[in-house]
Amino acid sequence: MARRYETVYIFDTALEEPAINEKLDRFHALLTKEGKGSVTTSSHWGKRSLAYPIKKKETGYYVVTQFEAAGELLPEYERAVKLDESVLRYLVVLNEGEPAKPMPQAPAVAADEIEIDEEEA
Amino acid sequence: MRRPAKTCPVCESGVRVLDYKDDRTLGRFLTERGKILPSRLSGMCARHQRQLATAIKRARQLALIPYIKSGSAA
Repeated sequence: MARRYETVYIFDTALEEPAINEKLDRFHALLTKEGKGSVTTSSHWGKRSLAYPIKKKETGYYVVTQFEAAGELLPEYERAVKLDESVLRYLVVLNEGEPAKPMPQAPAVAADEIEIDEEEA
Repeated sequence: MRRPAKTCPVCESGVRVLDYKDDRTLGRFLTERGKILPSRLSGMCARHQRQLATAIKRARQLALIPYIKSGSAA
């Protein structure tokens, strides 16, 4: 069963943006293979100063990604992220919160129209 | 004299789930040393206090907020 997760990566700021995107694509390929998952949103916070040094670095490049994937894909994915030296730190959590919840269906239909449909059904 | 019961600042703002990525909001519930503010002082309800604890611990791992804030030297 697919679940919703959220990952925050902190990349080394020595890395250029194209390089980061390329790495992200590689990680996400592990999650989306065999059609078992999909990346819903990916937002770059950009360079930020760290609250404390990690690997002697004072700044990090933050990327937040929300995705849906089958749980059995995660160990392999996490291993790949962990082995990458340019990822200073990462955090994978279950995304249970409402804040970033994208509406799964009925994107362009107005709210009152949906109500009518439900009554008929 | 008994003070009137404090109301939960998070419930009042209408937020249901505390986000660990929102370091500004979390910062309001830290002491100046960076410890988690007890609900006794913030008036936080039990549910939100538990959420706050996990949110702060996650934010610390991601270096969004410090584990300890030292007094003079930042």
